[in-house]
Amino acid sequence: MMHKRQQALSVRLKSLCPDNRVDYLTNMPILYGEIDSLESIMQHLQTHDDLQMNMLLDLCVVDRLHYGVDEWVGVQGTSQGYDRARTPLDQQSLIQEKGRFEVVYHLLSTTHNHRARVKVSLNHASTLVPSMTGIWPNANWYEREAFDLFGIRFINHPDLRRILTDYGFVGYPMRKDFPLQGRVELRYDASLARCLYEPVTLENRVSTPKVIRRDDDRLSITE
Amino acid sequence: MRDLRQQIHDYKHSGTPIVRNGFVVMQYKQLVDWARGNSVWPLSFGLACCGVELMHFIASRYDFDRFGFALRASPRQADVMIVAGTLCNKMAPALRAVYDMMAEPKYVVSMGSCANGGGYYHYSYSVVRGCDRIVPVDLYIPGCPPNAEALMYGMIQLQNKIQGVKSFYMPDYTRELEQNDA
Repeated sequence: MMHKRQQALSVRLKSLCPDNRVDYLTNMPILYGEIDSLESIMQHLQTHDDLQMNMLLDLCVVDRLHYGVDEWVGVQGTSQGYDRARTPLDQQSLIQEKGRFEVVYHLLSTTHNHRARVKVSLNHASTLVPSMTGIWPNANWYEREAFDLFGIRFINHPDLRRILTDYGFVGYPMRKDFPLQGRVELRYDASLARCLYEPVTLENRVSTPKVIRRDDDRLSITE
Repeated sequence: MRDLRQQIHDYKHSGTPIVRNGFVVMQYKQLVDWARGNSVWPLSFGLACCGVELMHFIASRYDFDRFGFALRASPRQADVMIVAGTLCNKMAPALRAVYDMMAEPKYVVSMGSCANGGGYYHYSYSVVRGCDRIVPVDLYIPGCPPNAEALMYGMIQLQNKIQGVKSFYMPDYTRELEQNDA
């Protein structure tokens, strides 16, 4: 039932937004927006009688740095019988600014009971994205979070400042090129009688899976 | 009847108060420590899921009031701060400020892996790798989270520490009492 309603929405979106690509994946239509026309499209989605997307469920950002590229190359290494990846690729060569960031909106209509996803790809990390606070007021904190963690700038946002990280935090921690353990760590200094930041003392730790068992039946590796 | 001089000598050795005919004789310091150890007022500082286990210890099943604990919302009235949960960088200056506001003598209990050493978030960019980087810790309680019984055991050890008890076990006063009355 839900499936049919969502498919009907997909067809409706295609006819109402002929300039945009509309896909249908995992029970939800995906509308690919453009930065320039995003605000008018969103206004349209909210106000059109057949759509009435009156709730913004979520706003998130995808960082596609290293997307589809193996970060680590396996090296035959230890006596324990499995490969351990060791060689980091040159990270600078992998950064593709165009299409690296993607802002994703999840919308719900409580009158029609249907959901849609809107994706907009950014040409550059500093591309200005129109703020949705005028259409859905709850976009305020979502956009602050996206700014805090990914460094995406939203134009016409009433109060665009960090929301989660510490005051005076430097960097955008959810970006793929941000080191996991950060660049600074905190301790209390008794002589200064205050907490102070110092350069981090931990080694960088790569969070991608390091071990791929060649004899794993679930993997269809034929070598 | 044993000589009082002998009893005082024994007391200096054993540290066990002299109990006779409803009277107790002990050193002033020991009396103060006893009183202090049995009215420990923790500050409620639940930061994460450890805070929920702390609530279990407070609530009726384990009922921490019977040990003389009473949760205070103000650091001015609190004796011990239970750091229950993950301490983030943003929270750390506030935690230190609250600790500085507490009146002496004050104690800190680090509860759970995150407060002990960062735990699951040890490699995170936003988490303090152990609350002992911010405040001096008297007692560490391991676990993720430590269950209410573990916290209860830890807090009893803190009471023992405050009372200057060297042993990890509670001294058996009742046995001494029977001997004295015999």
